[in-house]
Order: sequence, then C-alpha cells, then structure tokens
Amino acid sequence: MRKRRSLLIFLAVAAIISSIWFYTFLISPARQTLDQRVHDVASQLKCLVCQGESVADSPATLSQQMRGVIRQQLQSGKSEQEVIQYFVSRYGDRILLSPPWQGLTLLAWLVPIALMLGGILLLFLVLRSWQSQLDKSPLDADRTESVDIDQNELAYYQKQVAQELAAEDSVFSRPGSEVD
Amino acid sequence: MYFSDIGIISLILALGFAVFTMVVATLGATRELPQLVASAKRSVLTVAFFLILASAALIASFLTHDFGVSYVAQHSNLAMPWYYTASAFYGGQEGSLLYWALMLSIFSAIFVFTAKRAPTVLVPYVMATLMGIETFLLIVLTTVSNPFVRLPVPLADGVGLNPLLMDPGMLIHPPMLLMGYMSFSVPFAFAVAAMITGKLDSEWLRSIRGWMLAAWSIQTLGLVLGAWWAYHVLGWGGYWGWDPVENAALLPWLTATAFLHSSMVQERRGMLKVWNLSLVIASFALSIFGTFEVRSGIINSVHSFAYSAIGAYFLAFLVIVIVFSIGLFIFRLPKLQPEQEFDSVISREGSFLFNNLLLVGAMFATLWGTIFPLISNAVRHETLTVGPPFYNQVDGPIFIVLILAMGIGPLLAWRHTSTRALRRNLGIPALAAAICAAVLPLLGIRDIWANIAFAVCSFSAGAILYEMWRGVRVRHRHGEPYLFALYMLFERYRQRYGGYLVHLGLVMLAVGIIGSHFFQVQQDAVLKPGQKMDVAGYKLVYFGNIDRTYPDVEILTAQLQVWHDGQLQQYIYPGRQLYARFANQPTSLISITTYGLTDLYVFLANWNGPSEATIRVFVNPLVPLVWLGGIVMLLGGIICWWPQRRKRSIPDRVGAGVVLGGEGTLASPPSLSNDNKEATT
Repeated sequence: MRKRRSLLIFLAVAAIISSIWFYTFLISPARQTLDQRVHDVASQLKCLVCQGESVADSPATLSQQMRGVIRQQLQSGKSEQEVIQYFVSRYGDRILLSPPWQGLTLLAWLVPIALMLGGILLLFLVLRSWQSQLDKSPLDADRTESVDIDQNELAYYQKQVAQELAAEDSVFSRPGSEVD
Repeated sequence: MYFSDIGIISLILALGFAVFTMVVATLGATRELPQLVASAKRSVLTVAFFLILASAALIASFLTHDFGVSYVAQHSNLAMPWYYTASAFYGGQEGSLLYWALMLSIFSAIFVFTAKRAPTVLVPYVMATLMGIETFLLIVLTTVSNPFVRLPVPLADGVGLNPLLMDPGMLIHPPMLLMGYMSFSVPFAFAVAAMITGKLDSEWLRSIRGWMLAAWSIQTLGLVLGAWWAYHVLGWGGYWGWDPVENAALLPWLTATAFLHSSMVQERRGMLKVWNLSLVIASFALSIFGTFEVRSGIINSVHSFAYSAIGAYFLAFLVIVIVFSIGLFIFRLPKLQPEQEFDSVISREGSFLFNNLLLVGAMFATLWGTIFPLISNAVRHETLTVGPPFYNQVDGPIFIVLILAMGIGPLLAWRHTSTRALRRNLGIPALAAAICAAVLPLLGIRDIWANIAFAVCSFSAGAILYEMWRGVRVRHRHGEPYLFALYMLFERYRQRYGGYLVHLGLVMLAVGIIGSHFFQVQQDAVLKPGQKMDVAGYKLVYFGNIDRTYPDVEILTAQLQVWHDGQLQQYIYPGRQLYARFANQPTSLISITTYGLTDLYVFLANWNGPSEATIRVFVNPLVPLVWLGGIVMLLGGIICWWPQRRKRSIPDRVGAGVVLGGEGTLASPPSLSNDNKEATT
C-alpha cells in the first residue's frame, strides 16, 4: 500500500510541475514587452565595429542606431525573424552571432546534436552489452540468493566488521536504534 | 653583468638538466638502477632551482627598470607602481611561458618531495614525462621566445603594460589560469607512466586523483577569477562571453570534471580504465590546445594582446603529445581489461557514465563552436561568428540536464538501486522543485525556460541538502550535536561530502547565471546635471563629471546618487582611466554596488565636457551567487583533495577493504540505514 501511495504522490508532483510549465509556456510569449523583444533581437546580432560584442551589449553609436531600427520595425508589426532577416539581407551572414540554420553552417548545429545522439546510442549499447554479459555469466546468476555459510563463521565476520567500523568512526561504536 | 645574463644562463642550465633527467630517469627505470632514479630526482630539483633563479632574474630586471631588456622595455615603464611592474613578469608571452615553466618545475619538485606516496615503479616515468614537457618549454624559451633578449641600445623608458592588464585582477587571474593549464601536466605524466609500466591499480588511481583534484581546483579558481575580472573590467555587464579563449580554459576543466567522476567507478569497480586514461590525456591536450589558440591568434578573441609566432611550436607539440599518447595507448590496450562487470543501469556507475556523456558532450560542442569559424573560413572563405546564442542554446540544455543528473546521481547506490529507495529519496527534492515551479509565476517570473532551470536547480539543491540532513540526523541520534555531526560527516567522508559541497556550489553558480541571463535589465541614458534615470526600481541622479590628472594617467569619473526604496543609498563614481601612453584605450572604472543579491552595475559609456555623460546601467540579479558558488566549489574541491589520515592497517579479510575503501556508501552506518543496504551487502 505504502509503495503505491508514494508512487501516486510522486506522479502528482510531476503532474503539478508539468502543468505549471505548460501554463507558463502558453502565456509567456504574449507577456514580452517591446524592450525585451528589442533586446532579444539585438542580442542575436553582432556589433560590426566592436570586438566580440552583440548589438545589445555594445555602446557604439552604430549599435545604438541599429537598436533604434529594430525597435521601429518591431513596432511596425514585423516579427523577430523578419527583423533579423532584414539585417542579414543588408550585411550578410557575418552580422549574425550564431551560424544560420542553412547550408554549410547548419553543420555547426548538427554536429554537436549528432555527437550527443551518437553518445547516447553508444552509452546504450555499452550498457546493454555489459548487462548481457552479466546475464550470461553463470556465476552471477544466483548471486542474490543467500550463500550457504556457517553461522559461527558469519557471526565472527560480523563481529569483525563491527569492530573495524568502530575503529573507523565513533558513531558505529555506540549502540543505536534502527533508522527509518 | 646584467640580471638578464643570469637569466639566460639559468635557462640553458635548466634545459640541460631537464634533458639529463629524462635520459637518466628512463635509464634508471629500464635498467632498474635506483642510483640513477635518485640522481634524476635531484636533477628535477636542480631544474626547479634554475627556473626560480631565472624568474628572480626577470623580476629583478623589471624592478631595477633595466630597459636594455626588450621584454622589460615592452611591458613596463617608470610610472607603473611596483606591483604591476612585478606582475608584468607574466604580462607578455615570453614571461608567461617562463612562469609556466617555473610552475611546472615547482610542481615537479613537489612531486619529487612527495614521491613516497606514489607507486615506486611510476616515479621515474612521471619525472621523465614532466621533464619532457619542461624541455619543450625551455627550448621555446631559449630560442624563439626568450624573455632576456637585450636591445642594441637601452631605452630611456619602457612602453608599459596594456592598460587592460593594470587591474588588481591582473595580480591573480593570469597566474592562476596559467597554473591551472600547467597543472594538468602531472596527471598526464601519471597516465603516461601507467601506460608504459602497465600499472593502473588503485594506488596509481589514488595518486592521479589527488593531482587531478588539485589541477581541477586551480582551474576552477582561474575560471571564476577570469569571469570576475571580465565583469569588473570590460563593461558589458556580463562575466562570460563565450570568447574562444574563455572556451579554451573551460575545455580541460570539463574533461577533468568528467575524469574525477568516472575515476570513482574505476576506484570502486575496476571499470572504465581506457576511458579514464583518455580523459586525462584529453585534459592535457586541451590545455596545450588552449595555449596554442591564445598564442597563435588564429581565432579572434578579446585576448588578442597575446598574439605571436610561437603558435606553430605549440601546434607541433600538441601533435607530438597526441601521437605519442595514442601510440602508447595502442601498445597498452590489451592489458586494460575491466576487473568487474556492470550490474544495473540504475546505479551510481550508470549515472557516472551519463554524467561523462554530458560533460564530454558539452566539451565537444564548445570545441566545435570554437573551431567552426576556421572550418567555415577554409571552406567558404567567409568569416563567421559563433557567439553566445549558439553556446547558450547548445550548452545551456546540456548543463541543465547535468544539474538534474547531479541531484539524482548521488542518491543512487553502487551496482543497483531499488526503485522504492529511489522514490523515497527523490520525494523531498521533487517537492522542492514543485514548490519552486509554482512560486515563481506568482512572483512574476513568466519565462518558461527560467522556470524550468530554477526548478531543476531547486531539485538538485534539495537533493543535496536532504542527503546532508539525513547524514546529520543519523549521527545526531547517536548523540552528536547537529553542528558537530555535520563537521564529523565532512571529517570522516571527505570525498563524498566535499563532492556534495562542490555540487552545491555549482547549483549556486547556475542560479546566478540563470538569474543574470534571463532577468538582466539594461538601460542607457545621456544625462545632464540634475537629470535622473529609473532602472528597475533604482533611481540614479547625475551631478557632473570630475576630472583628475596625474602625471601618467587621467581619471574621469561621473558623480551619481543612487536612490532605492525612496532612500538615498550612496554616491557612485563610474569612470574612465586614460593612460598617457595608451590614449586610444581608455579603461573603465565600473561601479558595482550590491543590494542583497542584486548588482547595480553602472558604466560610463561616454562623456562630453564636465556636464554631460552617457550612462549605461545594468541591474544584474543574483550575480553575487556566481562568485559565492565559485568559492563554495573551490572549498569543496580542497576538502576532497585534502590528504586523508593514513588508515590503520586492517587485515584484509572478508573483503573489508571493499566496505571501508575510502569515500562512498558510508554516509550513514550501513547496519543502521536501509538505503545503503544494496550497496554494502
């Protein structure tokens, strides 16, 4: 009974979390202010006159003007993607801070993703082969069963372990109650 | 005779002794002549002595303003304060290489002094490898990159240090990071020695883990200091820009972190030997790659003051290192069979493998992004940027999954965990995550990704704190007061609880990064005296500019009042420094004031006469947690690393060695806690 209850609680918690996330996901785009949208677009574009800064971060005059253009275009109803496209058509791909999802530069994105998926596959195969080795191994088959052992011998070993634990850490030497 | 002459002579002698050590140590090991090994040890100490002498000579040249030395003339001048003059030692390429060689020789000397702790067969090969690396550095130092080269005619005054480097951060960040890069040499030397001798047992593992932990801690400190420096000096309101050079420093850190985890699997279960060796080699190769990348200037970076021609030497060295390691690897592969088999996917081993997949995946993604502009340039002849949006989208999710795994992994027992125990352990952390996910929207945080990221962080923090609490509770029930129980946990199970502390620090760091990434508020304004600007609950009132001129530098600051909660908080003075010799490179004096966990970051972007200023303000929530998290991580690393008292020898019967083997499943006494039964029976 207890087992099932803990499972139910666990599922309930998971359900609560995912419903909150789903809810925020549904409402979040609508709540963005114009400032946030300008910042989002500007941080995708590279400041052409500075060293490794985005248009959003750069204090240069050119970037200031570009932020103005972004704001105007967003206000006139263009989408974020359209504004970025506008700058790409004027300056070329070099204005982008991340490689575009097309042509050769698609590789920049696909290689890490492919490597990650390949890694997961490899991990899965390695784990499976390890596990199948384990299943085949006859010695391991009955390891969960209790091994026949002389009770006296067992008691001796248990005492030995207790002594060594006590020498290791004072907590083990005190007689204690069962936890949980 | 100049100090620089002493320097050159010392370098040449050090080179001679380094080569001598390699030969003698190898001979001593192969012919089994202990006298030769002893001689090699002394020779390592001699190399360290001569490098200390050479470094002292360079510092003396700097402090005596010997502008006849080209390096001194280029990196210092008479007006610089003595501490920046001394730190100019590593301010340029030649000096930073000398610093690297010096640190390597000192670490080698430390290794020689503690050689008793390392397996005896390995010692000569470790020394030979270390001195091989040292030989490479010394060849570069005595030929193409000699810091002691004299000018035909001494200058009256030097050029001076790049103004960006004239900052208190300069005194500590470059030496730490260079030391971090260097410190991966020692684990590498252990890996080479193990591959040559075939000795990869637990003794070897203990030694290499200790050195790797030290390297990891130094590199962590170097990275955090680098972020701190960028935040305080560069003026764009951030601390990590995914700059190629920053990435280069992160790469070996990622593989080192992966090694520290997967080596525990080897320690406990005798598996993953090949994998661990490759991680050690990769860490070293990546640190050489980082140096190559910084020095060659093949990739655009904010660290561009370090360009030079020695990139090719490092590339050649990198190729040698990789070919040599792979050759050894193939030679040794037949001997690297696992001792034990795998039991279950849901186990500590399984989670470590997953952890390794994520860390190495993040490493590859970052490396790929760093070198992709080169590939694109070669194929399409178009310069292309791979900037922060790329890394945020690729590495961001990986790190979030990593933090989630960090919460679950330590709760899993070795070999196999029952789902029941797992559910019970995960209940409290899952509850923490749910509360966090539910409370955030109520506080006005609508961003879905921020919500997910924060919930994952609270899950992991919950898991770690709950685990600590359970340990403390068990000890408390046995009569220890709570605080003492906590202390005893850290004292007795250093690796385990030090590890938890590192994880906790990483969660804090992640919370800081998430907070400042999603909720940074930025505003620019051109202000006249009396005008004010409002940013996210902070009001700034501008009064005017103050201009102070010193012989060497002009400092211009804007005076502003900060108002918050209807009260005057304080006056701030963001400004600019203009060094006479570097008039076109004004450095920033950024004003950062911390209110609770929020930074008010004010930057003087531009000015016009005494009464107009362009002010750029960032409100950076949670950034202090980044620094705090970094300190906690470092502390945890040191606790893990701190040498444990030697255990009294226990007769190795009943496999007691397995139960008592250092860190692991003994957070609570196995006989007292159900959770660990699977692990110990």
